[in-house]
Amino acid sequence: MNKAAEVVIIGGGISGCSIAYNLAKKGVKDIIVVEKSFLASGSTGRCGAGIRMQWGTEQNCRLSKLSVEFFENANEELGYDRDIEFNQGGYLIVAGTEEENEQFKKNVELQNKLGIPSVYLTPKEAKEIIPHMDETKILGATFCEKDGHLNPFHTTEAYAKAAKRLGVEFLTFTEVTGIDTKCGRVIGVRTNKGYISTPIVVNAAGGYAKRIGEMAGIDIPVYAQRHQILVTEPVEPMQKPMYMGFSLNIYIQQTPHGSFIMGRGDDSEPTDLRITSSWQFLEEMAKTCCELLPPLRNLNIVRQWAGLYTMTEDAQPIYGAVEELEGFYLAVGFSGHGFMLAPATGLLMAETILGEETTIDISNLDIGRFKRNELVFESSVV
Amino acid sequence: MLIKTGVPDIEDIMEITPPKRRREKGPVAVIECFQRIPCNPCYTACRFGAIKEFEDINDRPKIDYDKCTGCGLCLTVCPGLAIFIVDESYSEKEALVKIPYEFLPLPEEGSFVIGLNREGKPVCRAQVKKVQKMKNKTNIVTLVVPKEHSMDVRSFSMKDYDDENTIICRCEGITLGEVRKLIQEGYRTVDEIKRISRAGMGPCQGRTCRQLIMQEIAKFTGQKMEDMLMPTFRPPTKPIKLGIIAGGESDE
Repeated sequence: MNKAAEVVIIGGGISGCSIAYNLAKKGVKDIIVVEKSFLASGSTGRCGAGIRMQWGTEQNCRLSKLSVEFFENANEELGYDRDIEFNQGGYLIVAGTEEENEQFKKNVELQNKLGIPSVYLTPKEAKEIIPHMDETKILGATFCEKDGHLNPFHTTEAYAKAAKRLGVEFLTFTEVTGIDTKCGRVIGVRTNKGYISTPIVVNAAGGYAKRIGEMAGIDIPVYAQRHQILVTEPVEPMQKPMYMGFSLNIYIQQTPHGSFIMGRGDDSEPTDLRITSSWQFLEEMAKTCCELLPPLRNLNIVRQWAGLYTMTEDAQPIYGAVEELEGFYLAVGFSGHGFMLAPATGLLMAETILGEETTIDISNLDIGRFKRNELVFESSVV
Repeated sequence: MLIKTGVPDIEDIMEITPPKRRREKGPVAVIECFQRIPCNPCYTACRFGAIKEFEDINDRPKIDYDKCTGCGLCLTVCPGLAIFIVDESYSEKEALVKIPYEFLPLPEEGSFVIGLNREGKPVCRAQVKKVQKMKNKTNIVTLVVPKEHSMDVRSFSMKDYDDENTIICRCEGITLGEVRKLIQEGYRTVDEIKRISRAGMGPCQGRTCRQLIMQEIAKFTGQKMEDMLMPTFRPPTKPIKLGIIAGGESDE
């Protein structure tokens, strides 16, 4: 298999599929998406499936708002024959420390200023929304009713199918083995199934973004860290919104299907692309969950799994071109929220690649910000 | 054999088969009661004196085929569901078989089913002629079967073995038809089918459906099952309460 393409996108997760769709919609021909396994087999298909607009940085707020507005009409927009299952049950974000509580008040101000309908709540008010919580464990909360849950597999499929109809070619079970450059610009992609000559490569490889960068000789300041999740048996609907805490280190949401999905972060998790499951997670997660939401102790755990967060220092994504290598673009480092930002990622990356003015100014999310030391830190991450 | 398998052999059946002449004349009871047990409702139900009086309650019923009218009263009272009515006078090539049936749902009159023999194996296609609901819940289903199977068909299945409605994933209720549709759409790994349909995501973790889905993929693509990508087996191997793992509770 030897091919030529206008654009090669590396990574068949939600970001790659969204970028492919947006480029094709803007009229770009000969787009190839290369994926080493099946679509959504990596971080996308392993994520917690939460969608929120309650962020601490202006950029994350803007990107997520644009994305939520897209998801609200995505079935029609993408002409999907199934359902992406967008369920806006809200997010209740709880504060575990005074410092966090104060930060949350500021976050709500910022969010409201940007048109995100979040509100600050006392523990008592928060308990009215999730009656089975132990409100003595929290100092306050913020709530946004437009946040929610979305099916990662179906959403990726919806993007991929729409892209296919626009002529995008998907090479699944095809692994990138090298990126060829000449005189400071990209000329082609080597894969285990053949060569693709192309002037433009988009790195949307999720946890493998750093490795893809190395193939092109670009050092991308990201690292992939394992994050674990578990899911319970399905039960009757009892918790509408996501319950999330950063210092309390938990996110837990009842899915439309009835099961509870929950996860937590751990600084000691490996950063070597491992996605095995650990007993420690099961124990810590169970303890946290039973302490904060006691009645859930009676739920049966059905399954646990793991995926990769691709972390940047400021927990914001890296978008755009790379100065040292023409034709090499990045959509990486989503720090655990790449799924929910996908509509923005696709649109803004397509605009950037085509040299159009971007719908949201993302010039300060480029890779150069790390060298320029212009980082804005996002603290709202589990 | 009967005592071991519950399935009568040819000699057992010969013994209870009404003469061919009698079967061709009209409906007649076939009493497939092979064991001595203390039970006689068939005798007390019979209004024609066809089923002879029991000397000992443990006796197996004896029937006078000339007196039997094939009315079916004995069929509905037999607790062992051991009595059938066979009528080979129905048409040139077909016979009627009345079967006591205690499963639900009942088949629809006019629908086609698979006639099963005493071992539960399919023998022929049959049409449901009549469904009679009885107060004691031993309902009567009358099947039209090819005449050569009148002494063979003793039960029926409403589903073809390869029926599209067959449940492949019992936890999530995913059918063979749904799985096949996904394979036709281009999903060729168990993982993809799992993620799109939820097959294999339930409490049993795909113990049964993984293999079945792989078989279907193999049938469709010609791939060998051993060459296929197997989804990860994920812990815990059996559902366990959060409270037990968190501590302070025991698994009794």
